Amino acid sequence: MSLLGEPALLADTIEPLGPRDEEVVVDAIVPMWRQRLRIFMHNKLAIASVAYLVLILLFCYLGPILYHTNQTNQAATLSSAWNAPPSAQHWLGTDSNGFDELGRIMYGGEYSLTLGMLAGLITIIVGTVYGMVSGFVGGVVDTVMMRILDAFLSIPYLFLLISLFTIFSRSTTFLIIIIGITGWWANARIIRGDALLIKKLEYTQASTAMGANKWHIIRRHVFPNSISNIVTVATFSVADAILFLSALGFLGLGILAPQTDWGTMLQDGTAQISNGYWWEIYPLALVFILVVVSINYIGDALRDTFEVRLLER
Amino acid sequence: MLAYVIRRLIQSLIVLLIVMLFTFTLPYFQTGGIDAPAYAVLGTHANPVTVAEWGARNGMNHPYLIRFWNYLVQVFGHFNLGHSYKQNLSVWNIISLYVPRTIWLALSSLVFTVIIGIPLGIYQASRRNTTVDYAATGVAFVLYAMPLFLLCLLMLQAFSFSWPHLPASPPSGVAPWAIFTDPVGFILPVACLTMVSVATLSRFMRGTVLEVLVQDYIRTAKAKGCSGSRVLFRHAMRNALGPIVTILGLSIPGLLGGALIVESVFNYAGLGIQTVNAASNVDIPTVLGITLLATVLTLSGNFLADIMLGVVNPRIRIQGASQ
Repeated sequence: MSLLGEPALLADTIEPLGPRDEEVVVDAIVPMWRQRLRIFMHNKLAIASVAYLVLILLFCYLGPILYHTNQTNQAATLSSAWNAPPSAQHWLGTDSNGFDELGRIMYGGEYSLTLGMLAGLITIIVGTVYGMVSGFVGGVVDTVMMRILDAFLSIPYLFLLISLFTIFSRSTTFLIIIIGITGWWANARIIRGDALLIKKLEYTQASTAMGANKWHIIRRHVFPNSISNIVTVATFSVADAILFLSALGFLGLGILAPQTDWGTMLQDGTAQISNGYWWEIYPLALVFILVVVSINYIGDALRDTFEVRLLER
Repeated sequence: MLAYVIRRLIQSLIVLLIVMLFTFTLPYFQTGGIDAPAYAVLGTHANPVTVAEWGARNGMNHPYLIRFWNYLVQVFGHFNLGHSYKQNLSVWNIISLYVPRTIWLALSSLVFTVIIGIPLGIYQASRRNTTVDYAATGVAFVLYAMPLFLLCLLMLQAFSFSWPHLPASPPSGVAPWAIFTDPVGFILPVACLTMVSVATLSRFMRGTVLEVLVQDYIRTAKAKGCSGSRVLFRHAMRNALGPIVTILGLSIPGLLGGALIVESVFNYAGLGIQTVNAASNVDIPTVLGITLLATVLTLSGNFLADIMLGVVNPRIRIQGASQ
């Protein structure tokens, strides 16, 4: 897997001292964000991941402007060829409904990526607020809030989601909210751990001693100091949301036709593998897997970037 | 130790109560509200008087809390997960055949995950930043990024169609222990479910062992002259096992969710397929009954994991007793 070359896992955070330090150390005082940017830029694979994601975002959101295809009019597809192999007219062929596959990847990508990002945003906002309050207030409130979280974490969420989809009527907004509110549990845990840690630090205690109220401390000390973790966790949340949405697409609980998302498309495409219609599955599978790998890799790189031990001291 | 066990048991029960509050309250929001079962039984155009009478007979007219109490009595007193009005059977009747099949699928996958994932993580940690480590991490990254159903279908394509050596679907209608007597059909489903879990577990194990390896007692052990393998297995692995047991406990909801997907792909008759079928029939009591059962399975798993944690780590059980 030369693709991943130098995975930035925990090993790097434990033994950070190496050739990197030489390049980071400079004489003048460098603003924190520039030091961090430099560490991030040093990670070539992370840059490649960012570049790939930007490319895919442009491809999905701006691609349809250059590559016109019909993706919504099902009546019009009746006259076009179904399961047609790649040709000059359809660069990646057509799918089992006669929609242009390349255009469909863009179109489905818009839904998958938008939903993934929005759901990721919800998980991180809810998780941060919940974790901050629980960790910072502490005492009985913390105990009760953590017990409730334990309850959530013990629910087999796929079963719960299926129950919710059975009871409530489906819509795109509902999909975002559902993935959002079922994805924040683990995030809340991590943020709470952060809040607990920062609460005990000296500068927070000094602030308390000077008479700052809790809201001020959360706003000025706890939140800014856990922002690194929040950003990192948010990255993983987006990847998880995209994956989760694809699982729902497989179960037929994704976006409703003629709209589509990558999960639904992969499910449709896999039904065609044994017929030899490779263009309906492998290009999308590659794009999809690389998107999730890239997001996860950026998350790992961000974790390294915010690791204080890598900074100039 | 006993105090610790009791404390964990009470916590699990509280969690179960919270989940039951969910599974009890959700039907209030279904289309048709709380009268929906009545209409399902009596017909769509039933007379409102008949519906009201049916509701009164079946305890639908009681206040919310009384109904919740009745629900608790029904579940804990009579081990009754509910009644499917669509199929006119009790939920337990519908699913009882499939429960052991799903448990065996999930359990065997869990066993293989532990057997493969833990040594792999330790090996990666001891050979960190080598080609083997990078390769294993790369594969883990890709497996983690791949939707489970896609992995299943690619495996199916590879081993049942392109290179047909394994059956595409496990035998149905056989006893649940056929997984031992006739394992060939179960290889693909178990392998798929295991691969994804191994990807996660080996990454955790690698990280945890690496964290342990920089501790002072490891240096002490090395300084004493312990051999490399003794340091790794005697000192590092034992201390890394704690977090891993917790992770395994927490992975059960994901494992059951994965089983649901795997069952759907391989047409493995189990709880997952029953859930999907019930959902497509809008059979709400069955879906909620299975959700509740899956929660009980998860909680039992978490409970066992915590007990194991208490057994392997005296710090935890003593702290548990003192609190």
